Amino acid sequence: MTVVELREVTREHGRVHALRGVSLEVAAGELVAVMGPSGSGKSTLLNLAGGLDRPTSGGVTIEGRDLAKVKDLAAIRRTSVGYVFQDLNLIPSLTAAENVMLPRELDGVRSGRARAEALEALAEVGAEEVAGRFPEELSGGQRQRVAIARALTGERRLLLADEPTGALDTATGDEILQLLRTRADAGAAVLLVTHEPRYAAWADRVIYLRDGRIAEANAVRLESAR
Amino acid sequence: MSIRHGLLALLHGGARYGYQLRVEFEASTGAAWPLNIGQVYTTLARLERDGLVAPGGEDDQGRAVYTITEAGREELEHWFGTPVAQTDRPRDELAIKIAMAVSAGVEVAEVVQTQRVATMRALQQLTKDKRAADGLAQRLVLDSLIFKAEAEQRWLDHCEAVSKEKNR
Repeated sequence: MTVVELREVTREHGRVHALRGVSLEVAAGELVAVMGPSGSGKSTLLNLAGGLDRPTSGGVTIEGRDLAKVKDLAAIRRTSVGYVFQDLNLIPSLTAAENVMLPRELDGVRSGRARAEALEALAEVGAEEVAGRFPEELSGGQRQRVAIARALTGERRLLLADEPTGALDTATGDEILQLLRTRADAGAAVLLVTHEPRYAAWADRVIYLRDGRIAEANAVRLESAR
Repeated sequence: MSIRHGLLALLHGGARYGYQLRVEFEASTGAAWPLNIGQVYTTLARLERDGLVAPGGEDDQGRAVYTITEAGREELEHWFGTPVAQTDRPRDELAIKIAMAVSAGVEVAEVVQTQRVATMRALQQLTKDKRAADGLAQRLVLDSLIFKAEAEQRWLDHCEAVSKEKNR
């Protein structure tokens, strides 16, 4: 089942073409990695897939809903999509559990239930023991686990991760990927942007963006000798 | 790859017979370097000739076992204490191919992309193997292959970026 679909999506920022006709589907249970040099359109692609931005042309569908026809994008962002970014993830004045609860409370869920869900999500990512701690008291790997827990609460089926391994060492980065992989195997659709081949290799499919297009492996042509 | 030192390291853990050495060697290295039993016996014969292992009689099922000698222990210590040299590596076919693509006026980016897709496929397989890996030794050997494949990917990115700049 397709969770997110992009159809011939273009995005222009003024005269700059960030994306030039990209089509992509991510199914439930699938982990797809997007690679490419800076400026190739990776983050633009992720923002469009998550309803954080609207395409100049083409369409985006999340769980069967065409985003062009959705008035309240914020509601979809809160209920269907989870985001994990490299940094700026957690609110410093809230504990790990409160950070995970926040999107559910914003969505009108009572705080008792939101807390129970948060603790469950933290347990799923192996971070239950840090529930009462503040972000500055956590290691980089623990912070990212909490951010993933927050992205998972409320049965969201689409998980978007933009360089989630940021400044982590490779062993901790591997643990984060193991976590994303487990979520995909449990039925989530995961779209991962990374510039690190070792992390992209955890994906079922790897897509390379070049100048706003998906790069294919073409036959190489020899020019005839002059 | 030093089969000699691999076998010495295993014998350092206690007396073993030939087939057992083969199985344990492959288990530690994650079958990255499959050994045939002939290689094991040839190597054991040479180690015995050099005084690094000695026949240790038979086990209770009548299999001939080998033990490490004092000289063998010293040799093993020396091996662990010596860094691996970067010399006499085989020539890198990929580097030659990219260099020749530049000379032949072929689109470097296309050669790079074809290789990138193939190397990524290998990297995906290694990652799968690593998730299924059994034990620390196997995992670290797979990590070594993963780091090498990753280095190749980075170098390919570099080739593409540099050749793009030169074409401007």
